[in-house]
Amino acid sequence: MGLESLIGGEGFLTTTVNGLVNWGRKNALWPMPFGTACCAIEMMATFSGRYDISRFGAEVVRFSPRQSDLLIVSGRISLKMMPVLQKIYRQMPEPKWVISMGACASCGGVFDTYTLIQGVDQFIPVDVYVPGCPPRPESLLDAVFEIQELVGEDRFDSGKHGS
Amino acid sequence: MKSRSWSAKTASTVESMVVEMSAQHPAYDALPADLQSKIFEVFEHQGQVGMRCNAADQRTLLEHFRLSQNYDFLVDVTAIDHLGKDAPERFEVVYMLRALQSNHSFFRLHVWLDERLASLPSVFDLWDSARWGERETHDMFGIVFDGNPDLRRFLMPEDFPGFPLLKDYPLKGRDERRQFPKVVARGDRMVEEEPDPYPTSIGRQMHTPDYIEEVRRDSKPRE
Ligand code: SF4
Repeated sequence: MGLESLIGGEGFLTTTVNGLVNWGRKNALWPMPFGTACCAIEMMATFSGRYDISRFGAEVVRFSPRQSDLLIVSGRISLKMMPVLQKIYRQMPEPKWVISMGACASCGGVFDTYTLIQGVDQFIPVDVYVPGCPPRPESLLDAVFEIQELVGEDRFDSGKHGS
Repeated sequence: MKSRSWSAKTASTVESMVVEMSAQHPAYDALPADLQSKIFEVFEHQGQVGMRCNAADQRTLLEHFRLSQNYDFLVDVTAIDHLGKDAPERFEVVYMLRALQSNHSFFRLHVWLDERLASLPSVFDLWDSARWGERETHDMFGIVFDGNPDLRRFLMPEDFPGFPLLKDYPLKGRDERRQFPKVVARGDRMVEEEPDPYPTSIGRQMHTPDYIEEVRRDSKPRE
């Protein structure tokens, strides 16, 4: 078509606006760590140098929900903590994703007692579950890849959940 | 299961323990004679001395240990629920004392407490740390400490209806852990759904201050 001659030998690519925005978005996730128990230690290990989550663009850990788009629930959530978790989740701007890390956050784990929430997905939407007690940092990284897949499927110009 | 047979058992068991109390323990000898008669068991475990007494004598004894002996630190106040066990009373309230300024020795006072009374005088004026210890014991067992200025919930949420360390409180609770609004996606907005109402099985709670007042009115005076 003669298009190549017009750009003077430079390479080029074609994409959609949606693809371009999502490419940027999924490689710059800003996690909000919600570490309440031992799983949080593995989460910290994932953030630190040895496993280095920054290789995948998710190293900007924000302790303010208003600046984050990835909530990592790692640890036991008690009766008293659940309203806090919900409040933090609601404070995060859209679009947002949630990882439920470890057996406790996903289903209560071994703590089937009066005070422990048996799975945070009963009360907030969860996108990816990470099995394990605690999960290895590799598992959490894998969950981040899953989230990246989900971000890639998203339409940037509508809410995460469609409108 | 609230069994009335507890009280029938009480008097005889306490009496027999008084008779059986044998050892002339140095800690027992150190008590003045009028207080010795209030103790019905002295025991020692790994160098830590403990004594048992009745709820009516708790305040007198603790005052003695605070003011006349060296126990200047109340480590903890807690309780044991003996429901269904062969014990003189349902509750055993434990005061753990320590002498920090002198020989660092530990001392425990175990107080038998009738479940129909379920209240003791507070000792927060003797040790400040009793404020929180009593508050926690109230939170977990529903035991009321008369005079404690702040018996709000301590560990459990403020609106929690039960007393979870009672033996007749179910391990998995009474459905409290499902009573939250659900944050769900609707269109592009997050909305909250109303929680399910508390199931009626939660019912009437024992040991609330009203409950204590009620049992006080109904119960016969202790001899
Ligand atoms: S899943 Fe295991 S490691 Fe994680 S919070 Fe629960 S007990 Fe701790």
